[in-house]
This record gives sequence, C-alpha cells and structure tokens, in this order.
Amino acid sequence: MDNPALECRDVTVAYGSVMALSGVGIAFERGKIHAVVGQNGAGKTTFARVAAGLVRPAVGELRINGQQVKTGKVKDARAAGVELVHQSFALPPSFTVAEAMEFGSDRGAAIFTRSALQKRWAPHLKSLDVNVDPKRRVRDLPVETQQGIEIARALVADARVLILDEPTAVLSPSGIEMLFERVRKLRDRGVTVILILHKIREVLAIADTVSVLRGGRLVDGPVACAEIGAKRLAEMIVGPAVARTLASGDADAATGRGAPAAHTANHHTPADAGLVLDMRGVSTLSDAEGPALRDLSLTIKAGEIVGIAGVEGNGQRTLVRAIADLVDATHGTLAVGGVDVTAAPLARRRAAGLRVIPFERNTEGLSLSSSLWENWSARELLQSRLLSAINPARLKKRCDEALQAWGVHYATTGQQAGSLSGGNAQKVILAREVDADAKLIIAAQPTRGLDIGATAFVWQSLREARDRGCGVLLISSDLDELFDISDRVVVMLSGEVAGTFSAPYRIGAVGAAMTGVSQ
Amino acid sequence: MTGKFVSVLRGLIFIVIALALCGVIFQFAGYSALGMFHSVAEGAFFRPGAWQQSLRWALPLFITAAGVGISFRAGYFNIGAQGQFYLGAICAAFMAEWLNGAPAFVVIPACFAAGMTGGALWALWPGLLRLQSGTDEVITTLMGNFLAGLLLVYVTAGPLKDPSGSGQQASSRPLAAAYRISDSLGLSPTIIVIAALVALAMWLLVNRTAFGVLASLAGRNPTMVQWQGATVWRLGLSSFLISGALAGLAGTIEFMGPNGRLAGGFLPTHGFTAILIALVANLSVVGTAFVSVFFGGLASAALYLPIMAGLPSAAIEIINAAIALFITAKSGFVDRLLAFGRRSA
Ligand SMILES: Nc1ncnc2c1ncn2[C@@H]1O[C@H](COP(=O)(O)OP(=O)(O)OP(=O)(O)O)[C@@H](O)[C@H]1O
Ligand SMILES: [Mg+2]
Repeated sequence: MDNPALECRDVTVAYGSVMALSGVGIAFERGKIHAVVGQNGAGKTTFARVAAGLVRPAVGELRINGQQVKTGKVKDARAAGVELVHQSFALPPSFTVAEAMEFGSDRGAAIFTRSALQKRWAPHLKSLDVNVDPKRRVRDLPVETQQGIEIARALVADARVLILDEPTAVLSPSGIEMLFERVRKLRDRGVTVILILHKIREVLAIADTVSVLRGGRLVDGPVACAEIGAKRLAEMIVGPAVARTLASGDADAATGRGAPAAHTANHHTPADAGLVLDMRGVSTLSDAEGPALRDLSLTIKAGEIVGIAGVEGNGQRTLVRAIADLVDATHGTLAVGGVDVTAAPLARRRAAGLRVIPFERNTEGLSLSSSLWENWSARELLQSRLLSAINPARLKKRCDEALQAWGVHYATTGQQAGSLSGGNAQKVILAREVDADAKLIIAAQPTRGLDIGATAFVWQSLREARDRGCGVLLISSDLDELFDISDRVVVMLSGEVAGTFSAPYRIGAVGAAMTGVSQ
Repeated sequence: MTGKFVSVLRGLIFIVIALALCGVIFQFAGYSALGMFHSVAEGAFFRPGAWQQSLRWALPLFITAAGVGISFRAGYFNIGAQGQFYLGAICAAFMAEWLNGAPAFVVIPACFAAGMTGGALWALWPGLLRLQSGTDEVITTLMGNFLAGLLLVYVTAGPLKDPSGSGQQASSRPLAAAYRISDSLGLSPTIIVIAALVALAMWLLVNRTAFGVLASLAGRNPTMVQWQGATVWRLGLSSFLISGALAGLAGTIEFMGPNGRLAGGFLPTHGFTAILIALVANLSVVGTAFVSVFFGGLASAALYLPIMAGLPSAAIEIINAAIALFITAKSGFVDRLLAFGRRSA
C-alpha cells in the first residue's frame, strides 16, 4: 500500500509511568472504514489524539498521505486533513447550530449576523444529511443530531481522514444505524474514516478493517474484517487468558451476538422476597431532561434485576431522577427498602439503601478534577454530619482497598478522576455505589463505553449484588444487555409502562412495545 | 511531582514572573530595578522592626484571605471581602458604642461577635440570591462592596461621627483605650492568638472534616454531589457565611486594634489583596499563611519606601497589579510552563 491516508511509525506516549502507547506502528489505507478496538485504557483515545496533533508522542512519526507531519501540532494535522470528533462532545450547549458550526471553522469572520451564519451553514449541513434547523440551540437537540453536527463541523475544512472516538456509545440502536449510513456515504466520497468502537457486532457491521490495541501495543491490524470472526476478535481484544474466564453468555451478549434466552432462567427470585422499590402511581412534570412520568407504578423485589427498555427519551431519565429525588413527584408514593421516602431527600433515600449509577459518568457520577479518594468517599461523607471529623489517611487506605478489589487501574488515590480511562472511571463509581449496605441499585447505562471484559465484570457485579439480596434497576438502550441479565424487563413509552416481559424474551414483542405498535 | 509541590511551585513561578515584569517597568520609569527590589525587601523584612510591621498587615489579611479561600473552594466567587470587612468594622463599632462603659471582658467579645455577624450577614444576601435564584454572586458581592463603602462614609459622618474631629476625612469617636486589643503599631498577643486560631480552625475545616471534602467536590462539580444526596445550598451558604464572618473578624481587629476608630474609606484595598492572596496560594490554608506574610511585607514596604528610601510607594501598587495580572494567566500560561519542565525533565 503506497501513501496510506494515515500512518504512525513507532509512536510512544507515556503519562508518567503509564505507557499509553508503546511503539505503535500502523497504516490506514485510503477511502476505507477502519475500526480501532481495544479494552478500556488500551490507548485508543491516545492514538486518536496523536493522529489529530493533540498529543505529542515522546518518539515516533506521523505521516498523512505519505507526507511527514510534525507531531503534536493540531494546526499541521488539520492542514493535512485529519479531524477528530471527541469521545465526549464539545459543542457549546447554548449556541445555535449555525454558531456552533462557525465557532468550529477557521473562517470565522470578526463580525457577522445570525441570518448570514444560518445561510452559510445550511447547505453544508444539508449536504451531509444533517437535517436540522440552523436556528435551533444545541442543547435542545437529540444526541444523534448533535453528533451529526460534530461530524459536519469536522468536515468543514475538507477533511481527508475523519476519526470518531466511540461515536456509538451515546447512540440508540436506530441512531447507530443512521451514523453508519452517514459514515458509508463519507467513505464513498473518498474520506478515510477511523472509528473507535467497543462492540464487535458494530465493527463487523461497518468496518472494512480492524486494528486491535491492548495495553498500549498494537496486537494486530489492520486486518480485513472479512477474514476475522467475532470470537477471534474478542480474544484479541481481551487476551486469551481473560477470554477463557468470560461466562459464555456474557461474552456473546457483550460482543453483540445476542443473548441466549436461557441464561438468566436458572435464577429464581423467591416469591416472598420483600420489595426494595415500591413506586405507586408516580407522576412528575416534564422538564428539559425528558417527558413527565404519568401514573407510573414499578416494584422490584429483593434479589431481582429489573430491566427498563425503551427508546431513549421516553422518561427513563425522569424515572431515575424521580427515584433519586432530583425531580419532584406531583403524585404517588415511593418506598425504598421498605421505608416510605416519598417526601424524603436523596440523602435519606440513600440511607435507606438506595444507590445510583447515573447516566452521565463524567458529570453526574464523578468530579473529574477531584481526586479519586474524594470521589470515592463522597457517598459516605454525605451520610455523616457536615462537621464530623475525617481521617484522610484512613479514607485513602480504604479507597485503595475498594478500588483494588474492583480491579481499577490507577496510580494513586490522589490522582484526578479525569485521568482514568472510561472503563476505569466507571469502576470507581461501581466501587462507591455497590457496597454491602446497598438495597436498591439503580444502574443507568452502566456499561456504556466499556470494553467486553469490563462489561462482563459490571454484569457479574450486578448479579452478585442481586444474589446478596439487592434489587437492581437496570436502564439500558442495549437489548442484548437487558435480556442477558434481567429477571424481568419493563418497557417504557412516553413516561408510562408499556409492557412487562419475562424470560425467555421475544425481541419482536419487546420491540413492538417500545415503539407503541400493538401486536 | 505531587500535587502539593506543583501548586507551591506554581505560586512561586507566578510571583517571580510578576516581579520580573515590575523590574522592567521600574527600569523604564527611570529607577534601578535592583535598587527598588532591594529597598522593598528591606522595607518588608530586613530593616530593624520590619517583621513586626509586616506581621501587623499580614495577620488581618490572612484572616480575610482564609475566608475567601473557603468560598472559592466551594465554587463561589465571593469577591465581596472588602464590603464584609467594612461591615465587620461597622458592627463592632456600634457594639462598642452601645456597650460603652461596660467592663472590657464583656465589650471585647461582644464586639467580635457583632463584627463577625455583620460580615457574615453581608455575605448572606448574595449567598441567598445566588442559591435561590442563581443571581451571579460576582455582581452582587461587588455591588455589596460599594454599598458597604458608602455605609461606612455615612456612619462615620453621621451616627458615629466624632464631633471633635477636624480632619478632611470624617471619622468615628475613638475606641476607649480599655477596649483596644493592640496599640497603633498593631501587633499584639491577642491578634496573634486569634490569627493562629483561625489558621487552625480553617485548616481543620478544609482538611479534616466532611465539609472540607464535600465543599471542594461541590466547587468542582456541583452536579455530582447533588447525585450523592448533598443539599448544595447548605454547603454553599455555609461557605458564604464563613468567608463573610472571617472578613468581618478582620474588620473588627483593624477597628479594635491598630486603627482604634473608623474612618471613611479606611484600608480600601484590604479585601482585594486578600483575594489575590487566596488565589496565589491556590486556596490552600497553609499556602495562604505564607503568601499573607509576603503581601504583609509589601504593605509595610509601601509605608517605608517614600519615607526612608525616597522612592514612590506606587512601586508596591505596581507589584500588586502585576501579580493580579498574572493570576488570570496562571492556569494557562504557568501550567504550560510546568508541563514543559516535566516533559524535558
Ligand atoms: N491525561 C492523562 N494523564 C494521565 N494518564 C492518562 C491521561 N490520558 C490517558 N491516560 C492513561 O493512558 C492510558 C490510555 O488511555 P486512553 O484514554 O487512550 O484509553 P482508551 O483506549 O481510549 O480507553 P477507553 O476505552 O476507556 O476510552 C490509560 O491507562 C489512561 O489512564
Ligand atoms: Mg477512549
């Protein structure tokens, strides 16, 4: 292959003692869709940031279209046609679409009018099939559209290589289809697309080649997807040793090959188990986060995992916020662990055994610029009086123990939570929220952005919590995940319960309930 | 490098750069930069008696700055220290007036209580507005400074006016000698003990209580602590109240100690210097103590320069301004410098 679209030679990046990339040499052929996969912390994002000039490797060179480009210079990488869409979006929420586009382009004039901006950007958005009114504000748009805008923004300056870091993590299944359609069109226009992905099913569905990173090294790649099976790919990602330890059902569900229906059937919640969640006729007002709950009743027994299925934006977020007292219920009652908490603030609900793994790991779950031990201790500290004395050395030690028990990769408990890779950050939240006193665990998209091994680990942990007598409410947009570990699946539609299913699940029936089609 | 070391280093680099800029300015203004720095150092720390003078300024500044640090940590940019300082002094003065004649052991504690309450109340309303309706506390506390300044002018020219005063600046009746906590040199065991107690209490509060950890988490990410079940307004309001109370305490000390009376517009930059101190110290309590001594030294040099060295005291204002200027650059510029050092190390 001469003049690959993007080539790295012997790239090494170290953060302190952590080798994020060591000696990675890889070349991507022009006009194809390439997938890059690997476990959390494997160095995928770091690789993307090197390619986009955001990180300067200690050694190694970067070639774009056969031309050597100075490393660590965003301008040079851009000029050579490399654009990166970040793992977490960076659009200013209060901007209009047109403003966000202008803000991201280099042509920004000093003075402009709104209407001129709108006129300028409408055709560009249209040409990329991003159907959105450029007058709308970014924060009011669904996440699929926001991503479309991010991509459009990256393509303003005639990008030849587009890198998308975990673009599917935020999308619903239909959003993923839309994204893939968009990516294929770009490829057909000659753009080289590099996708960082976790789900093997997605890799096989979209990519022409796949490359695997593990522990900062290139395991293999780019290999043609046609030549590699899902099983082999899974093994390359986690390493043969770990691959053997994955429960077979989990491995299948995590790689996206569908959950065997029988997997959870052998678990039986005792019929006389007490209710850890008893929600009766709860209604809320609708707010910016989603539609109102309407007369919603939901119960979870001790030792039961209840999955919530639904198209994103049908009240799942409101449900979690209502249980966590972050939105006021106008009607109805709520009991957690047998204690009526209808009027109780979240601190009291947590005291009754409620634990929450929130939707947004980086904003709701962790304070990224605070240390790991502070993040980890927050739950406990809030259960004590504000002026109660603490012993930081002991908290740090206990945090160390907890994080190690959960297999978090970190250097010290004093390091910022933001320096962990996505999977490790999620494990910190789990280490905080899944403790011995938990009675009801709300897990909202707990495996979003996690690799196969970490995903299986989260599921295993939730199952263990269930076996200890915890109730678990799992909200996920991934039906494989729901079917794999739920004892019961409840479908939400427009803030109401649209159906309850138990194993063996029939995807047709659940899907129909999700879209409101009566069968 | 550990976080603590980096933050100390950052503070130092930051002052050195600011001083270098001042050196250039002095040189262009026709003074010898080295001579100027020499005189400043002498005025601050090396002439006989300089340390007492520097501590006289450093201690009240430290008390206010420690409070500023608490509210900044919690994520509230309370820049109203100056107003809260004035309110503390005013309330203490009214209390002293009201109890005039009572024994000192009653009056002095009552004045302290009044001063701290006054400062806290002057921080309470911006705090409530912020937490109730999201009103930007930068605006309200800044406005509060002007209001407090005018209030001070009013009380010194009105209710508390000293009829025998003949100066241009109206001032209040002097505090009876029995109630003074220091002479006009301004350093006394009482003040040292108070400052030490404040240092200890604030260090414990920040480093050894649940409040310290939670407030710092809330300051960095309020959403996260909300999901943990914190009542954010409680954390927020307490930090407003603590910072106000400490500024009020410093005002009380200045009134009952070195000044002995209120004068319209006295110590007009106290609160702002305290904000600088807190920022340079990166909000750490120990750091604040050291940086306060540095700024106390500058304050004492400002008095020394024109009298003993025949140099303009504006030099000190330039140094302060340069440091303030670099504070905005701190996060970006100095961090890049540090990162560069780390890479080449
Ligand atoms: N700014 C940083 N400071 C310190 N360590 C870092 C930093 N950025 C990344 N790392 C470390 O480098 C390694 C690679 O991180 P990277 O973000 O590239 O992983 P990733 O493959 O993208 O993971 P994920 O799937 O979780 O997003 C991790 O161990 C991570 O902790
Ligand atoms: Mg990543």
